[in-house]
Amino acid sequence: MRDTIIQGLSQAYSNFVHMIAEFLPHLLVMLIIIAFGLVVALLFKYLLRTILRLTKLDKVSEEAGATKVLRLAHLPSMSELLSRSLFWVTWFGFILVGLSVLGVATLQEQISRFMRFLPEVFIAILILFLGVAIANFLSRAALLAAVNAGYASARIVSWSIRFVIWILAVTMTLEELGVARQTVIAAFSILFGATMLGLAIAFGLGGQDLARRFLEKNLGPVRQDEKKNEPQPM
Amino acid sequence: MAEDTLLSDDLLRQLISVGEVDLLVGIPSQYSFSPVADVVRAVEQSLSRQFVRQRVVIALLDGGEKNAEQLAAAAGNGDERRNHTHGITSLRTIHRIAVNFAAAPTPGAALHTTLAICDLVRAKAAAVFSPTTSNLSAESVANLLTAVYRDNFDFAAPLYTRHKFQGLLMRNLLYPMSRALFGSGMREVFPSEWGFSGRLGSHCFNQEIWQEEVIRTQPEAWMAVNASCDDYRCCQVYLGEKLPPKNVAAIDIVDILRQTVGALFWCLESQQTSWLDSEKVHSAPTIGPAHQLTSEPTEMDRHRIFEMFRSGVTNLEPVLSTILDPETHSEIKAIVSLEEGKFRFQSDLWVRTLYDFAASYHHAVINRDHLVQALAPLYRGMTHSYLVEHADSSPAEIEAADEMLCSEFELQKPYLREKWKSKVEVKS
Amino acid sequence: MAPPRDNLWYKDAVIYQLHVRTFSDSNGDGIGDFAGLTQRLDYLQELGVTAIWVLPFYPSPLRDDGYDIADYTSVNPGYGTLNDFKSFLDAAHARGIRVIIELVVNHTSDQHPWFKEARSSRDNPKRDWYVWSDTDSKYQGVPIVFVDTETSNWAWDPTSKSYYWHRFFSHQPDLNFDNPAVFETVWEVVKFWVELGVDGFRLDAVAFLVEREGTLCENLPETHAIIQEIRRRVDAAYPGTMLLAEANQWPADVRAYFADGNEFHAAFHFPLMPRMFMAVKLEDRKPIIEILEQTPEIPDICQWFIFLRNHDELTLEMVTEIERDYMYDEYARDKSMRINRGIRRRLAPLMNNDRRQVELLNGLLMSMPGTPIIYYGDEIGMGDNIYLGDRNGVRTPMQWSGGQNAGFSPADPERLCAPVISNEIYGYKSVNVASQERFDHSLLRWMKSLIRVRNAFRVFSRGSIEFLEPSNHRVLAYIRKYGNEIVLVVNNLAGSAQAVELDVQKYKGYVPIEMFGRNLFPRFGNLPYLLTLGPYQFYWFQLRRI
Repeated sequence: MRDTIIQGLSQAYSNFVHMIAEFLPHLLVMLIIIAFGLVVALLFKYLLRTILRLTKLDKVSEEAGATKVLRLAHLPSMSELLSRSLFWVTWFGFILVGLSVLGVATLQEQISRFMRFLPEVFIAILILFLGVAIANFLSRAALLAAVNAGYASARIVSWSIRFVIWILAVTMTLEELGVARQTVIAAFSILFGATMLGLAIAFGLGGQDLARRFLEKNLGPVRQDEKKNEPQPM
Repeated sequence: MAEDTLLSDDLLRQLISVGEVDLLVGIPSQYSFSPVADVVRAVEQSLSRQFVRQRVVIALLDGGEKNAEQLAAAAGNGDERRNHTHGITSLRTIHRIAVNFAAAPTPGAALHTTLAICDLVRAKAAAVFSPTTSNLSAESVANLLTAVYRDNFDFAAPLYTRHKFQGLLMRNLLYPMSRALFGSGMREVFPSEWGFSGRLGSHCFNQEIWQEEVIRTQPEAWMAVNASCDDYRCCQVYLGEKLPPKNVAAIDIVDILRQTVGALFWCLESQQTSWLDSEKVHSAPTIGPAHQLTSEPTEMDRHRIFEMFRSGVTNLEPVLSTILDPETHSEIKAIVSLEEGKFRFQSDLWVRTLYDFAASYHHAVINRDHLVQALAPLYRGMTHSYLVEHADSSPAEIEAADEMLCSEFELQKPYLREKWKSKVEVKS
Repeated sequence: MAPPRDNLWYKDAVIYQLHVRTFSDSNGDGIGDFAGLTQRLDYLQELGVTAIWVLPFYPSPLRDDGYDIADYTSVNPGYGTLNDFKSFLDAAHARGIRVIIELVVNHTSDQHPWFKEARSSRDNPKRDWYVWSDTDSKYQGVPIVFVDTETSNWAWDPTSKSYYWHRFFSHQPDLNFDNPAVFETVWEVVKFWVELGVDGFRLDAVAFLVEREGTLCENLPETHAIIQEIRRRVDAAYPGTMLLAEANQWPADVRAYFADGNEFHAAFHFPLMPRMFMAVKLEDRKPIIEILEQTPEIPDICQWFIFLRNHDELTLEMVTEIERDYMYDEYARDKSMRINRGIRRRLAPLMNNDRRQVELLNGLLMSMPGTPIIYYGDEIGMGDNIYLGDRNGVRTPMQWSGGQNAGFSPADPERLCAPVISNEIYGYKSVNVASQERFDHSLLRWMKSLIRVRNAFRVFSRGSIEFLEPSNHRVLAYIRKYGNEIVLVVNNLAGSAQAVELDVQKYKGYVPIEMFGRNLFPRFGNLPYLLTLGPYQFYWFQLRRI
């Protein structure tokens, strides 16, 4: 019996050592991959930052109003954000590759699933970002146009546009991520349709006079007294 | 070469026939020929009386398939020009060429083509006249051409008699700002008719700016600023009373601001090496009577202007907070809350507001077109204040006030410089 | 070879205008004479001219270079005798050259026996041969012709204590054509010369023959009646004798002198001449086209005579004030070059001795509609002397050689009737017939070939003219047509190279043949015909359909 125990322990020890011996090279490879990935990720970050600065992305982002959003969120500038994102994505990818070298089956499966999901995450972030930028731009444009045209409800118009575009962007983001797709689409359709129907009813029934005056003003001849409103600027 | 695309075969053929000239007159037309006829007639009368020995060409730039013969017919010349004995007309042939574009040309395209023609025919001097000018006389044409041809100025801007409430944008923003920053002594920096030397024309033609949006709509302002900044000799020529242009719809302040102020800000951006760290003053001598103001009674809806100012400033608060310095913004919010009868837009605040806008344009804190549009309510506020303050002022008093405004722009230049050079801070 | 019998010879002529006094001196007295002129006829024949217009050679005090005549039927002894003239006439005819002389009948010299008689007393039979008045207030407002020297058209005669009328110099009293005796005497003068053999008359100052109160005393109907009567008699008795009008008027006003072909055979086209000079300086065809477009049609048997220069000043009467100022500024900056609303310079100095411009102007002269007149000396590019007073600067001796007195006369230089031109540029040592005959590319040789080509084609003398108006205004192009002869003339009026596209679609299929070198050019097709021309270059193309 003692021999059996000793033999068992020896066997277990031997297996353990063997396992370690087999595992260590994989670990070493993993570490090498991760280290290499760090270098590559830094290089990509530097390259992308340089390219984005040359293309003046930050300026475009400022004009689109996206930089303001980033600042409010205490995020760095657009080019810095993208280059840092690229760094992390690249390195994370190398880390995942490194982990996959370990050969743990379950881990590999999860990694594989994650990798397949990653592009959709990027697209979703992009959609959200663009949606925010477009919402800012169009709402501001609408605000300026409405204010300069003398509409009393300029802010409402501006916020409405911003709200609609945000909702649209969020819906598209969730759809892209596959989060409760059917529910989200249905909810959006119902909300959007109801809003539009409500506005149409309100405008049609309650705003007849306003509609008539609007059409007259924009499509009818300019009255002489309106011409005298302001002095000629030039 | 860029000029290759400007030269259709037909235009090239016409230029070959014209050869070298002393004077070129360009008339960019965006309408049919009929309004142009008055301008062409005035130009031809001037050329045949005052420039009898010079080689001259009139270039009509128009959208459509018209030719030089139709231009001549539209101008109704021939019998009208036979003002000498025995049917002898002018000493020389007065050339007319027609430049046809697929559609009505933008001002930038028209001027670019005019400069190309000027360069190719080696004109010593040239002038551009707007077909919408309703009271252009042969004498005005001659005065403008004389300044650049005989008196050797490089740029001749027009000078008009105006009503005291006409041209407020020009007098309260465009002129004093360009005078303070570019040192330009010319009142009309957005002229509808002006003269230039062949030398300046060649210089402008060879610039790589013709694809810019601003140049498409307001090339004449850029040309005037360029002349001021690059030490060309500039002058102003009195042309009489400024009448409202013909065939123009009701005033759209926003559109005008976008074109004019947008162009001015763009010029600040592109010419910053000229004004940012230097003090230049260019005199622009006046040829003929000085700038004059008239004061006939006129109707204005001041209340509407004030209301648009107040609602505009209120509704645009988030936008203005991004553009304006906090102190400026708070001062504006303070005057917005005043009653109409007590409201005044002081000069120093107006100037600081404009300089904040200019600096924000430079830093592109928001879309630049949006930025310029946001100026509209503030301009209305300034207009209202001006109308009230000068309702009973004499032209001399108004001139004095305008001059003080110019001084204020000068005084606050360090403020603009500081804003221009500073980094943009987060505004939350 | 005697000239062929041709009543329309003046239409095809190339005329050479000369003054016998300054052309060639045979007897060494310093004054040109008919014998000397006769000796030079070979030269003129070789040049290619077919008629000679001789300036006045009558006895005269020479206060107006012979236009103040003291005897109408004789020859100034300085120039020879009547026999010498006859010999000259015969020699000219033998070479096929016709002769035109002056008929100066508007006025005489105050030294003419007629005037001496007329002024001797108010009862003299010849009193009424001139126009007299007790006051100078008659015919008010009539312009003065010689504005630089005369202050009035009336001059006071101390002998008869009355005023006499003179449209020119005060020593040239006007004849009174209201007196039939005057007309008949003039007719006798005409007969005298025609029967001697003269082929034509240039009637000097013809517009001024008759005076009437309340008019400008020019171009009056009575004047036309007088000329028509002379013409009627000439046609009846001496057919083929040409009458040429010197009427410095606008073309529409000169038209009346042709009437229905029964008045003058020919008239000078004065207004065209300054406009040719103007067009070259402006580099613009406009002045030429304008004046020719307003030149009226004339009867088929009539002809315009065209010229570049003559013995008088380059007249600027028939131009507008703007044009006159321009011409003065461009061609006569030195005010001493100006006289009597004109410019007293020869062709070569006017064109700054630019051979190309001289050729261009001669090309225009030979190709425009009309009979061309060459002023003596211009065929070799003679210069002038503006310091000689009046218009004598353009009447200097002909430069035949680089020898003494330019080969004009063997006399002592001090004895010459006028000094020869002797500066470095135009002087006789540089510009003379002998040297130009020695090399092929001289102006003289070129003129000969030009005249030869012109004489070979009737289209130039008799053809119609149709202007092509290409968009390049520096190019003057026109088609001359006469029967089957069609010639395209293209002139570059500018001092720089030019390209021009000509609309010759009407002549599609024709082949242009350059007329000097006889080289073929590409055929006319559907498209505008592109030509390029060097500075002041011109082409004559004969168009043939082959």
